[in-house]
Amino acid sequence: MATRPKTLLERHYALLGLALIAPTVLVFCAVIVYPLISAIYLSLFSIFTPTLEGEWVGLANYRELLTSGDFWSALRVNLIWTIGTLTLQIVAGVGMALILHQNIWFRSLARSLILFPYFVSTVVAVLVWKWLFNDLYGILNHLMMTAGIIDWPIDYLGMMPNALISVILVGAWKYFPFVVIAVLARLQTIPDALYEAARIDGAGPVARFFDVTLPQLRDVLVVIIMLRAIWDFKEFDLIFLLTGGGPVNSTETLPLLVYKEAFALNQMGMASAYAVVMMLIMLVFMILYVRRTRSVDGA
Amino acid sequence: MTTMLTGRRNVLKGLAATTAMTALPRAARAQETTLRWWSPQSAPLQVAAYQTQIANFEAANPGVKVVFETTSDEGYAPQLAAAFSSGEVPDIVTHLPSFAIQSYYANGLVEPFNDVIDMIGADDFFEGANDVFRAADGNYCGTGIGNSAANMLWLRKDLMEEAGIDAAPTTWDELRAAAQAMQKNGIFGAPLPYGANSMTTLIFAGVIHQAGGQIFDTDLSVALDTQETRDALEWYGAMREVCPPGATNYSWGEAITAFVSGATATGIYTGRVLGNVNAQNPSIADSVTCVRYPTKSTAIAPWTFNDFPSVFIPAQSNNIEMAKKFAASLFDPEGYIQQLHAAPGHVLPVLKSINDNPDYQNNEIIQKYPAEVELMSEAAAGGFNLGYESANHPSNEKAGEVVGSGVIAEMVQRVILNGDNVDEVIGDTAKAIEDIMKG
Repeated sequence: MATRPKTLLERHYALLGLALIAPTVLVFCAVIVYPLISAIYLSLFSIFTPTLEGEWVGLANYRELLTSGDFWSALRVNLIWTIGTLTLQIVAGVGMALILHQNIWFRSLARSLILFPYFVSTVVAVLVWKWLFNDLYGILNHLMMTAGIIDWPIDYLGMMPNALISVILVGAWKYFPFVVIAVLARLQTIPDALYEAARIDGAGPVARFFDVTLPQLRDVLVVIIMLRAIWDFKEFDLIFLLTGGGPVNSTETLPLLVYKEAFALNQMGMASAYAVVMMLIMLVFMILYVRRTRSVDGA
Repeated sequence: MTTMLTGRRNVLKGLAATTAMTALPRAARAQETTLRWWSPQSAPLQVAAYQTQIANFEAANPGVKVVFETTSDEGYAPQLAAAFSSGEVPDIVTHLPSFAIQSYYANGLVEPFNDVIDMIGADDFFEGANDVFRAADGNYCGTGIGNSAANMLWLRKDLMEEAGIDAAPTTWDELRAAAQAMQKNGIFGAPLPYGANSMTTLIFAGVIHQAGGQIFDTDLSVALDTQETRDALEWYGAMREVCPPGATNYSWGEAITAFVSGATATGIYTGRVLGNVNAQNPSIADSVTCVRYPTKSTAIAPWTFNDFPSVFIPAQSNNIEMAKKFAASLFDPEGYIQQLHAAPGHVLPVLKSINDNPDYQNNEIIQKYPAEVELMSEAAAGGFNLGYESANHPSNEKAGEVVGSGVIAEMVQRVILNGDNVDEVIGDTAKAIEDIMKG
């Protein structure tokens, strides 16, 4: 069957459609496609950062990266940090959301105050925690020494495993309010009838949590875990400001390695290679997230 | 094949310039030149001095505006790398260590400074003051805006007396024994840095020299794998027991605070200690003094770390001539003396006329500690740093990257904190530095 030629109006509509979608496509290309292609392109060169002059090295940066101990060490630290801080964020976030969901005094005030760590700037948060951790003047050491728990100040940020534990704890403190907000919002939409039915069936508080609350939270928790995993995996400022990646490279994650290559060693090509590999790792999280959100939307 | 990736940069520069021009009122564009001035030295009194210098310059040069922007000792390298690569550079940069400029100059990023030195008066500089800024092509890549003696050993005479120590230590063994004797009543012996930062790198480079060793040979080949380096690591590790637990994360700020607050019996820092002690802990002000940092034995000459706080002009500046004029004006007596007085003893004058100027000498701190200031001036004048390890060494263009890489601090941490095998660590570090030198 012959195709009917498009009318003038249809052609105008098609052009109008293109014109309307063009700004979005342009912005998408400018902020997503261009930096992505640029990073991949730069990773194929050996480039001196301040001059951006360099020479083509092909895949040599990737070969060097994958055969160097630095990458695998940073990846290991990155995974420990991500899993550690994320687990604490989820546990503390869900726990706090459950408390704030109860009819407690000053609930509105508590709900506002709980957001404080999330809203405070990372630099300020790190300064506060460094002060708390300080060996000579820090309140943590002071209180523990006064209570006779320790005789000697604890070195929280300069020794392992203290440094990694401290970073994970500060990360959990900083970001758990995000989990609180999301979980609290979902808790408020769980029908009371489900809890009533569970009570009639003789379920206690623990059983109600595991049989009613947790299944209801599952979808939102999956989304939170995916998002926070992506954000925590690429966390830079908090770790860099707290420990600088030390002692030695015990808290050096991949983002810190990218920064070191790009600006301390002035190797922009190698830094881009690290960034591209990081992006590929995060792509796994992203695919899981997209699949999950699609299945939730489709349900 | 060498590829110039300038197309992208030019586009970025063009976009930035267009945006900036669009944002400016037309009248302002027509008459105002703005100079951006970066410095990591930004204590309130120093900034006040800079404002005097800016006001004087702006009054003498209508239509010129100078904007001061702060960077930091640990952050200047990435900030400048980003500035250079984007083309959005400051017009003048001060107080960075000399080795940083040599690296930038070698890559064509810094304007030769010869004519500024002539404007200031080449003969007025202390002898040899500009040697560290002489580049391989014979030009000067910058000049010193001051001298500093960054690894002076600061002592508390009252604590020494209490501990029965009658003379300042001159050798490592004496220093360690003194620190052990003074470590009591919650006061630690010393605030040496063991952190993953540039202070650890720069101070430990000095410790290697105080052992009689060096990082590079005079032909700039790596000379780290020596007994002197092992001795330095052994002593530095032994000193850990007289340092606060948190010294594993110390940098300049923590090190000076530890001594000034009275938490440590000795200190390692520049003359900034004097001003800070008098302002923040006057109860110990009459007890502090300084000497050159001890060496392994009296047969080894002291090695003072002078970072040669500099002034230089990025080649990409759009206002090079005006920036040069401003750079020269920084040495005008009124503003320069106020700047030096903002941290007396911390940044020491490089001009003979300023050092002899009664206005410079007329300062409470300088008059209160004449012997200390004199000693620091003398030590700084004969000082060196990683980019200029001795008078026999040429300037090392890669020293900035060696410091930035953190490999020397990492060596300290691996051996002292992790207890890794010394030979293996020194071998790894030497190899890492060699790789950096090869570029």
